Amino acid sequence: MFFNSLHFAAFLPIVFILYWFVFNKNKSWQNSILIVASYYFYACWDWRFLFLLVFSTLLDYFTGIMIEKNETISKRRFWFWLSIIVNLGFLGVFKYYNFFVTSFSDLLNGFGFKVNPLLIEVVLPVGISFYTFHGLSYVIDIYYKRIKAEYNFVDYSLFVSYFPLLVAGPIERATHLLPQVKVKREFSFEKAKEGVHQIIWGLVKKVVIADSCAMYANEVFNHQQDMNTLSLILGAVYFAFQIYGDFSGYSDIALGTSKLFGIDLLKNFNFPYFSRDIAEFWRRWHISLSSWFRDYLYIPLGGSKGGKWMQLRNTFIIFLVSGFWHGANWTFIAWGLINAIYFLPLLLLNKNRHNLEDIDFKWNAEGLKTIINIFLTFTITTFAWIFFRAKSITDAFAYIKNMFTNLKFDIQYLGNERYAPELLALVGVFIIFEWFHKYKNEPISGKYENVKLLFCIMAILALGVFSDYKEFIYFQF
Amino acid sequence: MKLFLKKTLVFLFILLAAALLLDVIYTAIISQSSERNKVENVIHSKNKKFDVVFMGTSRANNHFVPEIFEKKGYKAFNYGMSGSHMFETALMLKLMMANNYKIKNLIMEADLSICNEKRDEGTTARFMPYIHGNEIIKNHYKNESDFYQIYYIPFYRYIKFDNKIGFREMYDVITKKPTNTLYNKGYYPLLSNRKGKMNNDISTLKPIRNKYYEEIKRICKQNNIKLTVVMTPMCENTKGLEYFEKVNELYPEIHNFENVVSDDKYFSSCGHLNDEGAKIYTNFIFNKFFDDSKSNTKI
Repeated sequence: MFFNSLHFAAFLPIVFILYWFVFNKNKSWQNSILIVASYYFYACWDWRFLFLLVFSTLLDYFTGIMIEKNETISKRRFWFWLSIIVNLGFLGVFKYYNFFVTSFSDLLNGFGFKVNPLLIEVVLPVGISFYTFHGLSYVIDIYYKRIKAEYNFVDYSLFVSYFPLLVAGPIERATHLLPQVKVKREFSFEKAKEGVHQIIWGLVKKVVIADSCAMYANEVFNHQQDMNTLSLILGAVYFAFQIYGDFSGYSDIALGTSKLFGIDLLKNFNFPYFSRDIAEFWRRWHISLSSWFRDYLYIPLGGSKGGKWMQLRNTFIIFLVSGFWHGANWTFIAWGLINAIYFLPLLLLNKNRHNLEDIDFKWNAEGLKTIINIFLTFTITTFAWIFFRAKSITDAFAYIKNMFTNLKFDIQYLGNERYAPELLALVGVFIIFEWFHKYKNEPISGKYENVKLLFCIMAILALGVFSDYKEFIYFQF
Repeated sequence: MKLFLKKTLVFLFILLAAALLLDVIYTAIISQSSERNKVENVIHSKNKKFDVVFMGTSRANNHFVPEIFEKKGYKAFNYGMSGSHMFETALMLKLMMANNYKIKNLIMEADLSICNEKRDEGTTARFMPYIHGNEIIKNHYKNESDFYQIYYIPFYRYIKFDNKIGFREMYDVITKKPTNTLYNKGYYPLLSNRKGKMNNDISTLKPIRNKYYEEIKRICKQNNIKLTVVMTPMCENTKGLEYFEKVNELYPEIHNFENVVSDDKYFSSCGHLNDEGAKIYTNFIFNKFFDDSKSNTKI
């Protein structure tokens, strides 16, 4: 069940009505209906993987309690590592097994040993990377005594399986979500209204921006050898907006949906393409994952406490792991590596904590500098996206090579009967719209909200891509 | 909560109003066009007279050259539609009859399309702007599983088929952007010849008693149209060529001309002749069924 499907359009109001009008007696009833809805939501993908979700929930629920109950370090450590190993084991088998086996056999073949790798044919359970990280953060926090274990199984189950965030995040923390599910939610008109607006805006991002950009980006990337420099640059830019519209649109829908049930989720995107340097970009892009890696990998590895080299090493580690988290392909690792390299000068010059404040744009020299920095950050980010989008490292390098060798700038007619630059107007309007609403969760609320709502709905209906349907990109992770 | 329910009603009203408004605008604009595709061309034209009309899928659109017939004095047009199925061919013929077309001979390609009764989404899209204003189209789609959504939900049809009748199509109609669909009397020549050996696999196809084919036969009989049904060539390396014999067993009246042209150099892809191949094939059809003198046909 996709957020942008008719199925979900029917599912959401039904759950909303049941939640607020039938099961609203206390928080247990509220949580129970949300769990049933979440399991149904997940079963719509593939009911067989429900067992995996249940197992993951049970594992972390019991190991969390066992860690808390046991006072000896060795026993605590045992339960802690049991959870870590089993969680990562599932992730490893489903997501990375084939990659490791193939890479290893390629390596052996390179040395002249003939190896036929034993591959497993298995579908990647949707959302496994997200709910595994959910559970891991919970267990790690208990182990380090940052939180108490949750003894109410219903509450804990909802924390893991809450449907708005189940398949593509945001990756929640127990400290943020559990306190909300442990109290009865009262209806708030303002919150619910903002939720609806955020859902609508998320749909604009997904079906109007992301899916339109996808049509052009796919055409350029799939026929890169025939494309000139202009088309290749545009292809990369379109992909940058495709992935932004897709993932931030998904997050907006998730956050908006959750607000309808009185639950706030972590903000996942904060206008990342208006970042003035790459460090700021990573504070604004997929915030829940970046902060997860910061808190559960970077800091435990020593963070920046061990001096500059330790900081550099740890930064490279989290970017490589972050790239690998996205998928079992060298392209994602390369993408992570490139971003780590981008970070290098900022770390060496101690500038990685600059630009912490919001953009205060003025039409003066400082304003011009801000625009140039935003443009440069977007350019290098888009360059890195080429690796993220390409099917292989070879393809990514071929794309970049063609970009610098097919030095023509005439307007190309793509195979899907579209001219390469014609989408720029739409992207331009989107950027301007986002720029003027960059301090808000969603741009619809406020003055003339019904007019803005009408325009958004018209945009979704008239400009949305529906027939050439595309899944949310992050579902594959 | 009351306030929210009120807000929800406002939202639903805005949604409905927007959908209705867009539906009216799109329908008004797109249904003005009559030259951008064959469907709208048929819907907007009346009392046309033809000696020969070709119909079928892309294997008709790319294989029958009306110019060859025209040179011999036959007024001909190729109404074959790429991507279409027998479902849409039957509907097109019904629309032609409703618009008082006078057709003496209908040469129809029916081979691969015999095996299914499903609609083609791309071709179906072309009929959708007219579904409210044309009873024939409405009735033809009445038994489709999504008929009620398409017919009753405002703007749903434009969303469902947005890549064919969406914003871009509306914009192209407004700017009168031409298409080449009606050039060459409807024939679309394929000029390329794919390098390397061609192949295709049709071994999984199974011919069926196709109700739309039966409907076409019935319409032709009622309107005194001489119906000639033919199979058209496939490249030599097609796996499962016995399919054509099975079609023949099921429908003996369908002429099996699959192997009239077989050399790869006459093909653009395994299932589609290039322009040179199409001319050879059309000449063969002409010689087989028609006389040089316009007045006589052999069939």
